[in-house]
Amino acid sequence: MKTRTAAAIVLLATLVSLSSCRRERAPVKPDPLLNAYDTEADWNNPDHILPLTYQQAQGKRVFYEKCVWCHADSTPAGPSNRSNLNPTPALINDGKVLNPMSDGYLQNMITLGGSALGKSALMPPWGKTLTQNDIRALIAYTRAVAQPPYQAPVSPRPQYSVR
Amino acid sequence: MAAEEMGKTPKRLRVAFAISSVLFLAALAVSPVKDLMREWRHYKREYVRFAEGRPDTKVLLADFHSDMDQIWIPELNVTDRCVTCHQGVTQPSLLDASVPEPFRAHSPIPHRVMDWGCVTCHRGQGLATEAKEAHDTTKAWERPLLAIGYIQASCGVCHGSDLPETPRLNRGRAVLDNLSCVGCHRLPGVQRPPMLGPDLTDVGVKVSRVWIYKWLKEPRTILDANGSVTVDGVENEAEPRMPRFRLTDAEILALSAYLSALTSKPIPPYRFEPRVLAAWEKRPDVMDQGEVRFREMFCTTCHSVAVTRAGETKLIGGDIGPELSKVGSKVNQDWLTAWLRDPQSYLPNSLMPRYGWSDEDLYKVTRYVMSRFTDPDLLSDVPKLGVPSPEEMKLGRRLFTEKGCSSCHVIAGVRMQSDFGPDLSNVGGKTTSQLMFGESPIPHDLVSYIQAKILDPASVNPAARMPQYHFEAGDLQALTTALLSMTGGQTTPGLATLVVPRIERQFHPAGEFGKVYERYKCYVCHNFQGFGGALAPDLTFEGSRAPRAWLVSFLKNPQTLRPTLTLRMPQFNMTDGEAATIADYLGLAMQSPLVNAQEVDPTNFTAQEAALGKQLYEVKYQCQSCHTIGATGGYVGPNLSNAGNWLNAAWMEAWMRNPQALVPGTMEPRRELADPETRALTAYLLTLRGQAGGPAGGARAAQGGAR
Repeated sequence: MKTRTAAAIVLLATLVSLSSCRRERAPVKPDPLLNAYDTEADWNNPDHILPLTYQQAQGKRVFYEKCVWCHADSTPAGPSNRSNLNPTPALINDGKVLNPMSDGYLQNMITLGGSALGKSALMPPWGKTLTQNDIRALIAYTRAVAQPPYQAPVSPRPQYSVR
Repeated sequence: MAAEEMGKTPKRLRVAFAISSVLFLAALAVSPVKDLMREWRHYKREYVRFAEGRPDTKVLLADFHSDMDQIWIPELNVTDRCVTCHQGVTQPSLLDASVPEPFRAHSPIPHRVMDWGCVTCHRGQGLATEAKEAHDTTKAWERPLLAIGYIQASCGVCHGSDLPETPRLNRGRAVLDNLSCVGCHRLPGVQRPPMLGPDLTDVGVKVSRVWIYKWLKEPRTILDANGSVTVDGVENEAEPRMPRFRLTDAEILALSAYLSALTSKPIPPYRFEPRVLAAWEKRPDVMDQGEVRFREMFCTTCHSVAVTRAGETKLIGGDIGPELSKVGSKVNQDWLTAWLRDPQSYLPNSLMPRYGWSDEDLYKVTRYVMSRFTDPDLLSDVPKLGVPSPEEMKLGRRLFTEKGCSSCHVIAGVRMQSDFGPDLSNVGGKTTSQLMFGESPIPHDLVSYIQAKILDPASVNPAARMPQYHFEAGDLQALTTALLSMTGGQTTPGLATLVVPRIERQFHPAGEFGKVYERYKCYVCHNFQGFGGALAPDLTFEGSRAPRAWLVSFLKNPQTLRPTLTLRMPQFNMTDGEAATIADYLGLAMQSPLVNAQEVDPTNFTAQEAALGKQLYEVKYQCQSCHTIGATGGYVGPNLSNAGNWLNAAWMEAWMRNPQALVPGTMEPRRELADPETRALTAYLLTLRGQAGGPAGGARAAQGGAR
């Protein structure tokens, strides 16, 4: 009798615990390109396709409208204006030059133009043509295509805990 | 008595009672315990742990509570619990890709997430509280999440016109247009154009049966050294305008017999002036002279030709008209002469302009095209076809309708078939159970179905009549996106009121200008008040921009374009009267309200102002980085050597105040210069009256041409 009762209790307990237990689902690893809003081929290696987020994709659009003419060696129209200029503008994927520049510096550079920051006046100010959102997107695109890849600065440790 | 009996309750019964109580309690406990272990609670706890590891913990947890969250928008039928796990969606500091999902912030899109909900764009099941139920196809839910690669389809559900933010959707819609899908399928918001494929009523006078046979067998005819095919008319695209249909030899024989016999209007050979024939017929350099003329006329702005350099075959030129590399082996000379003289008499809806020809030029160019653009091997693999028999012609006529040819091609007297293929208005809104996968081994979801169908129509339905296309990976994804955006109207009445329909503008002026405009098909390349092409500068405000004298001389001789462009305005051989008609109309009707010619007197500028302007141009603003004057400067913007003749002073001032207000999206940065500086620069530009002046927006033409 006792054993029966015990068995029944154990069985019930198992059932209860089974029903409340749930397998922790491993997060699904999506194909990075399937989940990219847009893509861009690495300029140094056309087989390497880089995924772009929405913001980076908007930066890509602005880049190919306004910037590509001087910041790339080939343009949608064929020839580039880059070799025409002195000082030669940086290629937009040149991580060696652009990675050390902070987002804030680039934002100022694009908004105010070269002469405002003591650089060449060949770089015009875009602050009245593009919105600040466009410029942020442009910087995000620059960071996405940078070679060597861009590493965001490490954010400082938290200063307090909620507990 | 009762108490005594109670006290005497048998021990067994008490034990049973105790056990059942425990069991009862345990059963009651199941529910709260289960609730505590729910998947979403795990993510709630994870989020707190995650937020504590970040510097802005306080901000991240400001609105945190441990219950389920949801976005509820009754008018859009949105009840989305996605934010229960995706808790950082509106936190700007969590935008970075290093933030783990599901906590990453939503990209800053033009819509506020909280106003629209999640499933409105992403699909999936908003009410679900488990990841699998919310994301995937399950028994309870057949509309799984849309992969981000196709998310632009959701923009297209409401936005009928192209948005700058959705390149993939726009490309997909362009592919649908280019491939004439609307010939067989009903597509929401897409009007059937007046002409899809050429009218074949008299095709027999243009091409031979042998050529028709070859074309139906394989319309892709140009191979490079590696054996890859470049195809009819469309540069850098893997698809000819006419796809390959699955036709048997007997069917091709019958169709070629039927079509080659269509000669209701024979073309009488054009009689060249005897003087021209006498002068040119025997000249050995007639072809070279024809080539010079062919180039001068810029036929390649619309037509491409194959050019082989260093073993690499490339198509050079535009894709508005058909590719011409082998046209000499296709058409006969009498037809070509008649066509060049008056294209619309053969094809009333053709986009080819009616050039003004001299007999001499016509003869030279016809001879050049017929003898240089040939391929002796093109038709060598076609079997002997003989004279079409009545049976073949009868079968051919039947097949012309049955195989869907009549969906794109008109033949007088043959009824055009409408809705030959399935209606695609709702193809993007189908659930998995509405799709027929046949024997195909593909995954059972909508995206896989659409892609299998357009890559190989027979793979999901062996009886499919749809022809075989060849897509690049990018175009396949773009086309899938465009098809997914067709969801057959809005899912909720709330959304239906928010739809932005596709805008179709038209600009067809009447009168003398209208006649010249139609003759030279100005709108194929130029845009007029939102109607027309994007290849050449927008002429909506051309009357404010250029003085009449410049316009007339440019129309008569548009040779002043910059040398770096491959696509240029053709030399139409306009008469003086036609050029004057156009210049007068542009000057009168195409004016911007922002440019007031009365306010700026071009004779009123001083030499000091011009000197200051020169300095501003060269030193302060360094305009030479983009503009050329004389022989130096950049070539992003137009050449300004002739700016004084080409541009009105009032236009220059308005342009320097706000270029985008005159030409939306123009590349020139808006600087909002102070008025004295604007005046000085205008004064300087007015002094530039050289010969090498470029026309407006030359670089735009280049840009458009490369797209």
